[in-house]
Amino acid sequence: MKANREMKRLFVGGLGQNISEADLQNQFGRFGEVSDVEIITRKDDQGNPQKVFAYINIRVTEADLKKCMSVLNKTKWKGGTLQIQLAKESFLHRLAQEREEAKVKKGKSTTGNTSLLEKMKTVDFHVKAVPGTEVPGHKNWVVSKFGRVLPVLHLKNERKRKIIKYDPSKYCHNLKKIGEDFTNAVPISNLTWELEGGNDPMSKKRRGEFSDFHSPAKKIIKVQKNEDSTAFPTIRSKPRGIVESPHLIQQLAQKAPHNSSTPKSPYITDFDHQKFKNVFFQTSGLETTKKRNSISDDDIDSEDELRLMIAREENLEKTTWSSNEFENDPFEVVRDDFKSDFHKFHTSTGLGLKNSENNVTENGCDSDSGDTDEIIAMKKSSGKIENGVDFSQGEKSMYKKTLKSRKKYDLSDDCIKEQKRKNKVEIALSHRVKPLSCKSLIESSSSEDADSVSESTECEGDKEYNTLMENCLRVNLTLADLEQLAGGNQEAPKEKTESSGQETTAKCDRASKSRRTPGDLRRGQQCIHPEEIVASLLEGRENPCGKQKTKENTLKPKFQAFKGVGCLYGKESVKKSLQESVASNNINKDQISLKLEEPRNVSMGKWSLCANGLSSEQTPFQHAKEANDSNQIQPQKRQSFLSQGHKVVSPNSSEKRNRNPISSLLPLKDKKSSSCGAKTPNRGLDEDCCHGTGKSGESSEGRPDLCSSKTPEKSPEVFSRRDSQGSKTDFPLSVNSSSDVNAKDKHAEDNQKRLAALEARQKAKEVQKKLVHNALANLDGHPEDKPTHIIFGSNSESETEETSTQEQSHPGEELVKESMGRASGKLFDSSDDEESCAEDDNNRFRIKPQFEGRAGQKLMNLQSHFGTDDRFRMDSRFLESDSEDDHEEINEKKTPEEEELAAEKLKALNVVQSVLQISLSNSTSKGSVAAKKFKDIIHYDPTRDDHATYERKQDDKPKESKAKRKKKREEAEKLPEVSKEMYYNIATDLKQIFQSVKDTSEKEDNTPWNEDSDGEKAEVVQDTPALMTRSEQTGGFTFSFFESDAKDEKEETYRVEAVKPGKVAWQGDPRFQDSSSEEEDVTEETDDKKQSPEEVPLPEKETTRFFFFSKNDERLHGSDLFWRGVGSNISRNSWEIRTNNLRMDCRKKHKDAKRRLKLK
Amino acid sequence: MRPLTEEETRVMFEKIAKYIGENLQLLVDRPDGTYCFRLHNDRVYYVSEKILKLAANISGDKLVSLGTCFGKFTKTHKFRLHITALDYLAPYAKYKVWIKPGAEQSFLYGNHVLKSGLGRITENTSQYQGVVVYSMADVPLGFGVAAKSTQDCRKVDPMAIVVFHQADIGEYVRHEETLT
Repeated sequence: MKANREMKRLFVGGLGQNISEADLQNQFGRFGEVSDVEIITRKDDQGNPQKVFAYINIRVTEADLKKCMSVLNKTKWKGGTLQIQLAKESFLHRLAQEREEAKVKKGKSTTGNTSLLEKMKTVDFHVKAVPGTEVPGHKNWVVSKFGRVLPVLHLKNERKRKIIKYDPSKYCHNLKKIGEDFTNAVPISNLTWELEGGNDPMSKKRRGEFSDFHSPAKKIIKVQKNEDSTAFPTIRSKPRGIVESPHLIQQLAQKAPHNSSTPKSPYITDFDHQKFKNVFFQTSGLETTKKRNSISDDDIDSEDELRLMIAREENLEKTTWSSNEFENDPFEVVRDDFKSDFHKFHTSTGLGLKNSENNVTENGCDSDSGDTDEIIAMKKSSGKIENGVDFSQGEKSMYKKTLKSRKKYDLSDDCIKEQKRKNKVEIALSHRVKPLSCKSLIESSSSEDADSVSESTECEGDKEYNTLMENCLRVNLTLADLEQLAGGNQEAPKEKTESSGQETTAKCDRASKSRRTPGDLRRGQQCIHPEEIVASLLEGRENPCGKQKTKENTLKPKFQAFKGVGCLYGKESVKKSLQESVASNNINKDQISLKLEEPRNVSMGKWSLCANGLSSEQTPFQHAKEANDSNQIQPQKRQSFLSQGHKVVSPNSSEKRNRNPISSLLPLKDKKSSSCGAKTPNRGLDEDCCHGTGKSGESSEGRPDLCSSKTPEKSPEVFSRRDSQGSKTDFPLSVNSSSDVNAKDKHAEDNQKRLAALEARQKAKEVQKKLVHNALANLDGHPEDKPTHIIFGSNSESETEETSTQEQSHPGEELVKESMGRASGKLFDSSDDEESCAEDDNNRFRIKPQFEGRAGQKLMNLQSHFGTDDRFRMDSRFLESDSEDDHEEINEKKTPEEEELAAEKLKALNVVQSVLQISLSNSTSKGSVAAKKFKDIIHYDPTRDDHATYERKQDDKPKESKAKRKKKREEAEKLPEVSKEMYYNIATDLKQIFQSVKDTSEKEDNTPWNEDSDGEKAEVVQDTPALMTRSEQTGGFTFSFFESDAKDEKEETYRVEAVKPGKVAWQGDPRFQDSSSEEEDVTEETDDKKQSPEEVPLPEKETTRFFFFSKNDERLHGSDLFWRGVGSNISRNSWEIRTNNLRMDCRKKHKDAKRRLKLK
Repeated sequence: MRPLTEEETRVMFEKIAKYIGENLQLLVDRPDGTYCFRLHNDRVYYVSEKILKLAANISGDKLVSLGTCFGKFTKTHKFRLHITALDYLAPYAKYKVWIKPGAEQSFLYGNHVLKSGLGRITENTSQYQGVVVYSMADVPLGFGVAAKSTQDCRKVDPMAIVVFHQADIGEYVRHEETLT
């Protein structure tokens, strides 16, 4: 038996809601071993359980299963009708099975694959021939592009009646055999059950939370170049799915440096952009696009616009992308309470943009791009983190391609195709060397270059060394002209991007470099910190990639590159820094925890990207701005990154950003600014060490410091936070070095610009501070003012200006105060709030509180008589003299028209009620309440006569509710009616039952009743209910025909009494009641049966009760004797006769039997 | 100019309730003043009490319009909403449809909204539910009737109509003469 047992999965539906697994287990345990019970409760929107069903894994024999089905199916159990069906196996089981089967198959198929083909004697569809060659023996079969033999198809166009010849050799076919790779399959136990809830938009969407819509980009960009404007949207609008983010990064990587590097030809960015697209989509036609674009010549403004556009496109893309996630559903479904964030978005971006506007006034378009870049970067970072994994995996292949193509036109075939990894390393190296060489050229110190190169090569293998040297030379040659165009600094990042063997690592490089390049001042001293970061970055980068081997290689060249750059600036301290950096790298590698690295460094890379582009593009001044911008955007960012891992990202990125400003700020000679700049990195480092979640908090702390950069005293504080970095010494040194760099700075104009802008910036800051200060002062000051001064609403006007003016206005107020007395001093307390706001224009156009409402209007009119003269400022008390009249007037006015309207409104509301089929409970009162609220602004004073109006209002309320009261009364009156019905019901029942009883009794009693008694009885029967009520009233007056029944009757009557107290009203003439009850009851018979199930047995007993006869009625005695005697005689006679007969028969038979016995 | 009869009120309210549901009572019972509906030349105007008083000074035949026209009663005594009511329907609308920028123009020319143009829709919109049509930038463009429920919208092909056009702000230009 047991052998036959099979694992079955049963569906058990129709369960009660409070079923437990144990219950099911017990229930089904009778039939087999229940191994797994899974109860599923389906709930509706409100969370009320609708359905409960369960899946049960049971090991059961066929017979038992059948038995189980037959026994339990469609039986009621614990509040539900069971429904049992065989269910499919759990999908996990199936998946496991499938996989195993596939494994087995695979093993078989690999062994007998070729033989199978031969056995089948089919044509091998894979022919090794040039595509397009016809297959001999088969007409219209050709070798297609990928070697498969396919037929030439003739397809008929549905609409055009045109027959298209489809030659597979000319088209690529998109067939792909999707073989399941069971070797890499995730074990079932490790399957993802839940998508982790990141707060990034992607995961949100996965969870079904749709982000608010961001507006489509307005295409306000002047179409200066058709090429460009078209190229962007078309490329960008392509849905790209997951692969997107790497693209974008690359784009950006390309873009930023290019923009910066060549102010002459800003459109290089575009073509680069395009190129990249092309690289991804088809690796051809690079050169042509390049040429085309390189011709184009434009000013920087357009570039900025383009950036803006990119930012917008990005947003647009984001939204569209999200909505396009499933192709079938291009539209979004939103909740009822959906509010589009259109405006919000604008404001948020506006934050950045506003700043930029400020800057524009000072410095043109520079800052604009910065902001947008930030936005882009932000967007991207969020997008990136989602795809982090995909990125790291898919990245490689992508970049291989790009690398190759890049190589082609950059280095012109100098790279030989070897193993790919090697290649990469080489290229990376070569590119990294480029900047070195560039710089060295600038410095005109070729020997140094050689030094640096040699240094770098020391750490690598010989092979790399050779290639590196080669590349070095070539690069020097090719880049000679570029150097002339732009500073070496700017060049470096660009080259870096190109060199990006693996995007992010390169980015890291650039990040570190960008940090260094603009202000390398602190190179010698502070190199530890950047290096640290780089190390962490690299580690983070490396680990996900899982390239242990390349790690060493890639790491080293990078640091060499740093060294090189460093040595350009701080010549003497090259070696020192090198050693330091290496050491720190090693140390930090150990220190830094790895888990958080990946997202962080991704975002870092990005930040560095934009920062890099900026830094190289313009003057360091911009970084100062950027730093500020970053501060402002920071809150926004933090919103977007809520989850822990992401939190870590944001501070880091901010750190990065802060870093750039540092370097940029330092050359500004401003001690303050430099201190603030220095502060931020330190903080950042501090955070880096901590790796805590409190980072964001810390950074936010630091930010205000940054804003208030005036106070150099604060920097020590921050420094004190640092643990063992020894940065205190660094700080002054860095300042010193900054002066050095300044001396070296060639662009004097830039400096001037910077300074001017900085000054303006600081001015703005000061103004802002002042504002804040004022606001705060006001806040503090007011509590003091409150008790002493009466603050009038009119005050708010003056308050908007300055506190000083406020004081001026006070005398005027006091005048008013004197004249007025202080009875209602609290009246306009609310104006305090407005003062604290002190916002400017908005308030001016707001309706002032004292002018609100009808009374306010009057006041306004009064005020307008006097103009804006402070002495005659009007106050509500001026109005008070009139107010009485006013109210009366209003009341009078209301009477004729308003009532009409009110009536109409009521009508309308009634209609609404009926239309909507809802109860508008206090809709009318609501309106009145609202109106009252308006008037309540004037404080109610019970002592005042004029306020009696309000009291009267309250009186109105009960009046209104009179109708309700009436209704209530009516309802109350109705209730007895209901009871009446019930009463009738019982009567009918009884009647019916009695009738039936009567009939039966008539049938049974064959003895004829005389007519009189018969009629009597019928009447009596009908009257019983009335009797019952009577008995209730009189108490203990019972009627019974037979003594034995008396007790029962009493009980019955009592019971009835308890149920229906209302019947009391309904005695009187019993006969009359009877007739009425009969009539009505006929109509409601059916209902009544239900109502009196208990009383059904009662009437049967009551057959013995009679109305006209008392218990010991004398009249009955005679008749009683009479008919009883008759009845008994008859029966006795018949009985005797019968018994005699029986006896006779018995004897006869007995005798007969005896005779027979004798005879025998 | 006269107040609506009860029957007229019912017909109109039923129509409006299709779009704004129970928010209808907010139109009738406004906290900021008394508003009422007036019938004039078969058109229903939503008028504040103040304007009503002013309009009372003008003879009926000279009066062109007052307040906001909500719509008109047809000869068969059905009520037809006009686009001018949009200002009052849009803020209270319960079910909304956002259409993509590309489909905006089509809708504003009086065409139905196809699925391809559907940008966003309120969830659990039932079939034949009155909806207010918005642009993606949340500008109310008009109103219509959902031809498909939200669930159906997912399935249908892109060229299927999802919202029947009823009124759009393009009518301000197209039907300038009839709008009052």
